[in-house]
Amino acid sequence: MPYELVYIVRPTLDEQALATITEKVDKFITAAGGEIIKREDWGKRRLAFPIAKFTEGFYSVLQINLAPTAVRQLERNLKLAEDVLRYLVTRVETA
Amino acid sequence: MDDTKSTASGAGQPAPAARTSYEPRPKNGPGGRRPGRFQGPRPPRVCPFCAQKSKVIDYKNTDMLRRYLTDHGKIKPRRKVGTCARHQRVLAGAIKRARHIALLPFVSEATRGE
Repeated sequence: MPYELVYIVRPTLDEQALATITEKVDKFITAAGGEIIKREDWGKRRLAFPIAKFTEGFYSVLQINLAPTAVRQLERNLKLAEDVLRYLVTRVETA
Repeated sequence: MDDTKSTASGAGQPAPAARTSYEPRPKNGPGGRRPGRFQGPRPPRVCPFCAQKSKVIDYKNTDMLRRYLTDHGKIKPRRKVGTCARHQRVLAGAIKRARHIALLPFVSEATRGE
């Protein structure tokens, strides 16, 4: 199933830490048997409202292919990753 | 007729702006309103999302979504934006998704008092 994942990472991280998180998220997906079709990093962006006292965050948008049963595991992993402030997994409607 | 009159009567007052298009307003039926009461600007007659071909409303397209929010950040009602019932529902979902990932505010900053 095609899904779209958006997540926001803490703005306080340096480039290296950000790369580590990126890799970690990629691993969440591949470990769950999914594949990344496209990755789009928006960079640091202002949040519409503060989250955990942060007013900015690193945005990433991923197009992924994942088994429906694996979504739960992916969401659980993202929830447990402390550097990820928010995430959103949506199904991409295929028309 | 108006034009000739104003030039003849001299330069004392500028002629009132001519009403170029005047269409009688429908009093009832779909989109009709109660006469004799001011009800604000009328929304477009066709749903802006039905008019365009693309079938999905992208929650990441904040510039587009912002048009459907009030200054306070609330979702504008259908009577103001003229969306059809289906697209208003889809639009609301997209706005709510955008809010979750902090692309759109739940309450605008000015209203929050920051």
